[in-house]
Amino acid sequence: MGLTGGLKYPKLEDFEHPNIITTSADLVFNWARSHSVFPFTYGLACCAIEMLSSGFARFDIARYGMEVFRPTPRQCDLMIVAGTVNEKMAPVLKRLYDQMAEPKWVIAMGACATSGGPFYDGYNVVNGVDKVVPVDVYIPGCPPRPEALFQGLLELQKKIQKMSFVAPTAAAASGK
Amino acid sequence: MGIEIGSVRLSLDDLAARVAQEFAGELTDVSIQEPDTIVARLECSKLHPVARRLHDLAEIAYDSLNWIAAVDYRTHFESVYHLYSYATNTYLEVHVEVPRAKAVVETVCDIWPAADWHEREAWDMMGIRYEGHPDLRRILLKDDWIGHPLRKDYVDLAENHPNV
Amino acid sequence: MSDEFVDTVPDEALRLALSRVAGATAAGEGSDMQGLRLDEVVLNMGPQHPSTHGVLRLVVTLDGEMVKDVIPVIGYLHRCKEKLAEKRTYYQYIPIPDRTEYVAGMNCEWGYVMTVEKLAGIQPTRRAEVIRVIMAELNRIASHLVAVGTFTADLAPLGTAMVFYMFRDREQILDLLEAASGARMMFNYFRFGGVRYDLPDGWVEKCRDFLERFPKMVQEYESLVETNAIFLQRCLGKGVISQQDVVDYAITGPNARASGVAHDLRRTRPYSVYPELDFDLCLGRHGDVYDRYKVRIEEMKQSRAIILQCLDMLPKGPVQVGSLKPPYVITPPPGAVYTAQENPRGEYGTYIVSDGSRYPYRLKYRDPCFINLQIFPKLLTGNKIADAVAISGSMDLVLGGIDR
Repeated sequence: MGLTGGLKYPKLEDFEHPNIITTSADLVFNWARSHSVFPFTYGLACCAIEMLSSGFARFDIARYGMEVFRPTPRQCDLMIVAGTVNEKMAPVLKRLYDQMAEPKWVIAMGACATSGGPFYDGYNVVNGVDKVVPVDVYIPGCPPRPEALFQGLLELQKKIQKMSFVAPTAAAASGK
Repeated sequence: MGIEIGSVRLSLDDLAARVAQEFAGELTDVSIQEPDTIVARLECSKLHPVARRLHDLAEIAYDSLNWIAAVDYRTHFESVYHLYSYATNTYLEVHVEVPRAKAVVETVCDIWPAADWHEREAWDMMGIRYEGHPDLRRILLKDDWIGHPLRKDYVDLAENHPNV
Repeated sequence: MSDEFVDTVPDEALRLALSRVAGATAAGEGSDMQGLRLDEVVLNMGPQHPSTHGVLRLVVTLDGEMVKDVIPVIGYLHRCKEKLAEKRTYYQYIPIPDRTEYVAGMNCEWGYVMTVEKLAGIQPTRRAEVIRVIMAELNRIASHLVAVGTFTADLAPLGTAMVFYMFRDREQILDLLEAASGARMMFNYFRFGGVRYDLPDGWVEKCRDFLERFPKMVQEYESLVETNAIFLQRCLGKGVISQQDVVDYAITGPNARASGVAHDLRRTRPYSVYPELDFDLCLGRHGDVYDRYKVRIEEMKQSRAIILQCLDMLPKGPVQVGSLKPPYVITPPPGAVYTAQENPRGEYGTYIVSDGSRYPYRLKYRDPCFINLQIFPKLLTGNKIADAVAISGSMDLVLGGIDR
């Protein structure tokens, strides 16, 4: 019973093919999601200082709607891993990633988060954060300039804008 | 008022001679390294009493511990103590040879509180055990790491890498 | 829905804290208010925390708001730099010290390059010496801007305008450093015997221009916070480091100078062209949080004076000894040397043992933040947790140096 009073309302996910309703909803949701991403302050090392610089007045991250850096993962969409991940930090990283709510994205910022960076042959260094969490965008650089971080964020926005409630391939695969 | 730096003016040679004389028989191979460092060797068993006397010396006390380094010379370890004397504004570098088979040294935490984390790091990285340390556990690596990485014969085990 | 993160196995630091709490409760401590026994709480601050300036973890035992015990846990950024030194040639290793105290990269590179030059007996050119001092002092100003900015950002989470102004002005310094070295943060600028690039045309004028505008910026910062009653109440008299503590715990840098100990390597163990320069040491009187903040502000003004003198005495000449020809390999004679330089955070030095080969045999960093952190348990105990955040911000920690 509850709020619907026993009536069945269709959910967007119930549609089998993408149609005008789902694509319009996609447009609105993706626009909202991509332009108001809440990043997670996960600055580990030197790249964190460049991430901080990008948040302040000169390289203003607020023009992309992302100035709301939340320190708690429960309120964030995007985890920017800025810095080297090592064996001691990796379980913490995994735990914080699990605490984020869907939909969530990860940006590996810097050479260390991408593949270990200048410390790739260190005994304590995990060669890339993608060994611990799935990564959406990789930003090379040591450290990447704030403009490079913005390019990564714009790539992420493009990626978010391709999201949809009903995947086109699922409909094609079901043979209709 | 308070701590004065360089209030005792002695040339480095005079100071080295004085230190060598005070600790004759204990501090061996006393030499100077310009501009302001005296280098000496000390036997492992005599470390604590000599350290206590160095700290309590009149006039030229070595009252500050700058750092402790652990070096692996393949046949033996060395625990290097770098001391600073505020009164004379000079440094004293003491090399203590530690046998590889039994890498145990007395702690100097009770003399210089700054030694605490240096000894923990030497234990963590090199495996030199400091007897009498209040809390000797790993400081930089995770608690269940196997091995001491800065040793020259360190082999990296797969158990240390669950995330690869 | 159950929280799947509740039952993790406590690690050694947590077990130590919990055992101390159990011991204290058994001994009868813990507030007792009208028959209500209040236990002490073990709180985990970090390693991901907005106010711990990097991946520092503080296992704090609290009795209400009062801090009873602090166990700092480090190592979350341990990047094996000392072991890497044994696998890289001396030249290949130059970018790595940059990444220890990453806000003061020029100073850290100098700390490494200085030791190797002493080992190998290389004397840098005069023009390079003066340029090195200019870069180091510019980086000192930039580093103090970050330090004081993030400290005020801790007091009210990003609520003070100070950090925004400081980072805006820091960008001007980074522009200057980028014009000279090519990078905003990890400079890779120092070489054995000199620096990599000469100053470009017009750099000196741009630098003078910035230094002319700088005193007004500092005045702006001081006017923002120094008459604020809340700032003063949170900073005066808190976190006092006594002079005996400075000696016992080997504290160096502005933290020591704020307590009145005139320990500055540019004066006590002068290197490069510092003996010819005229500047004052900034000393505090009480060693509290306010003094540490004030010493950093004053040091920025002194750095400006140093840079102006250096710009006036900049000689013409090469910026490198000999010519930089491949293979870029040096093999210093066997020996062991320790030199240090005055980092914005204290005495930063390297102890290098060489065995005559292309690779260092052992490289050990003397990192000021690692040593300054040892006084934390003593300093934070007995304060409220909010004061603990202010005190740890004033100590200016950079985890890259602590963990190496």
